[in-house]
Amino acid sequence: MSSAPDMRPPHTPSGPVRAVWAAANGRNRSVVLAYFIAIAMFLATTAFTPGFASPTHIKELLIEASFIGIVGLGQTFVIIGGGVDLSIPYVLNASGIILTILTGGQNGPLIWVIPVLVVLAALVGLINGIGIAVMGVSPIIMTLGMNVIVEGALLVYLGGQQASKAPPLVVQWTFNTVGPVPVNTLIWLGLALLATAALSWTTFGRRLYALGTSRIVAEFSGINVVPMMVATYMICAVAAAVAGILYTGFVSQPYLGMGDPFLFASVAAVAVGGAPLIGGSGHYIGTIAGALVLTVLADLLPILNLDPGALQIIYGVTILLTVAAATVRFRGGSVQ
Amino acid sequence: MKPSELPLNAPPQAGPSGRPPLLTSRRTSRTYLYETLTEWFRSGTVLVLAPWIILGTLVILYGARQPGVYSFNELNIITGETLTLILISFGQTLVIVTGGIDLSTGGLLSLVTSLAALHLGSGGIRMWLVMAALLVGATLAGAINGLLIGATRMQPFIVTLATSSIFGGTALWVLPTTGGTVPDQWVSFGNGVWLGLSTSVWLLILVLLFWLFFKRTRLWFEIRSVGSSPEAAFLSRVPVVRIIVITYAISGLFAALAGLYDITQAVSGSPTVGTDYILTSIIAVVLGGTALTGGRGGFGGTISGAFIPTLIGSVIFIYGIDNHWQPLLEGVLLIFAVLLNVFAAYLVRRRNAA
Repeated sequence: MSSAPDMRPPHTPSGPVRAVWAAANGRNRSVVLAYFIAIAMFLATTAFTPGFASPTHIKELLIEASFIGIVGLGQTFVIIGGGVDLSIPYVLNASGIILTILTGGQNGPLIWVIPVLVVLAALVGLINGIGIAVMGVSPIIMTLGMNVIVEGALLVYLGGQQASKAPPLVVQWTFNTVGPVPVNTLIWLGLALLATAALSWTTFGRRLYALGTSRIVAEFSGINVVPMMVATYMICAVAAAVAGILYTGFVSQPYLGMGDPFLFASVAAVAVGGAPLIGGSGHYIGTIAGALVLTVLADLLPILNLDPGALQIIYGVTILLTVAAATVRFRGGSVQ
Repeated sequence: MKPSELPLNAPPQAGPSGRPPLLTSRRTSRTYLYETLTEWFRSGTVLVLAPWIILGTLVILYGARQPGVYSFNELNIITGETLTLILISFGQTLVIVTGGIDLSTGGLLSLVTSLAALHLGSGGIRMWLVMAALLVGATLAGAINGLLIGATRMQPFIVTLATSSIFGGTALWVLPTTGGTVPDQWVSFGNGVWLGLSTSVWLLILVLLFWLFFKRTRLWFEIRSVGSSPEAAFLSRVPVVRIIVITYAISGLFAALAGLYDITQAVSGSPTVGTDYILTSIIAVVLGGTALTGGRGGFGGTISGAFIPTLIGSVIFIYGIDNHWQPLLEGVLLIFAVLLNVFAAYLVRRRNAA
């Protein structure tokens, strides 16, 4: 008896090459690509600048990446579900500013202030979700409107008053370390594990991909889509609030407008991480790589003597290239 | 039926087997005008008036406190503040009607003001040549957006977010801080007054005339068909990719026009001026009743949508309300307008289903 004939087309490579080829053309290709870019960039920079790979600098990189990473976590859920959340900047900003005002810079009140902030953020997410899932408002305009409303509510609440200093404990979360790892990176790691587990191994995750691929099909498959969509926006708002609390520790005194860069960064991290923003694809594992890529890029700025404009150009080109790579296949047309 | 019972100008009645025409009720005793009005209310068409009603209310509120509001002078001031937004929203309206979104116009506006402030020189023939070059360049930049979206099928949101970063970054690169010079000739043109109306009002009239011409063109029909359903448009031999490229190119052109107008008001170039217009242009379009799902809407409503934020600012100022309230009011109004829009779409769907 001869063995079964080889049915593979003659040009398909075999062995380890085939594994790489499969990864490069398969579902996770864009995620693999994002890590490849992150590592390649890190190695290239290390080769040219001594001290880039020093433990102190890696620690700084991780601290900076954790904010984009946590904001990107919420955005990943929303984008996989087929939406987009533009209300991140002022949810982040408001939670940071309200934190300092309610605590008055003391550690004591944190025990009730943080839950209050999380509940407030969840409320914003709930309104977003209801507007989008129940009333059928487009996600872009609903979350954009919420962003303006949260900004307005924050301004009215402040009434011209300045934010005060961050409580010392929150500052310590950013700069203290457990062993070699900063506390806020540990928080990020914990959230990342939760998010990855939720996306990969739970019914919620599987249903979320179904919802993002096609809301109608998901509905006909018996998935109760409205609570799912609302949940993604609530996750996103809470993630933004958590990032806001941690970022307040990083800047020590929050200011109006500190959340604005995170709108671009959160969407960019997800896009670089391999989700082409059409819903139903992408993974938080990719977003982590996206957050790392964006952070390493931002850190190249002073090293290469680039001005902020050049960095923005590089950001834009990176997003275009990675999204193009995720959308267009090597052979056989585009994903859709 | 007796002839005396027939309403004047009655639309043709359907034959025994046909569906009755849309504008007639089965009850023949009502007059045609009354029926038309009821149909408008039932179908939600009347909600097209919503932004104009909001705008009118704001004008009346403003006029109640501020004497001399109903004058050319006040019109000149308000239009001068709003024209940049109106110009940039023209392109945004077309893009949103195709079902897309253009976040890059803000970056392009910044880039145009920066390059203009650096290179316009002191006026004369050089100024006109540089302006022409900027308009052509911005149109090409818009066309690149359109190509990336139409040909590679990447999402408009992410493509224009990326190009926005590229354009805005280039603006910061060529002109790191607000500055440069604008030729006096151009500034005095932009702030001139003819027959009591300022240049901005004349330009607004010009854009309006262009829109009245544009909405009768084949291109506008094709833009709407692409927005309603790209597949159906493609099957009907509408060149979908070409239409998308042209639409984004027009958006780029109008961003450049907005930039050239903006420097006459600011009298300098700014690498970040466009950031504010990215979201406000979308808000103006949506307040004006254009659906983000594509296919429905037009520039007429956008004009009212662009004036509303300016007037909210004025009303808040004149009534002595703390200006911290402005974003909150704008946001609530935006969501309210969108919900009205969604409600109108629901009414249309219900009528079509019936």
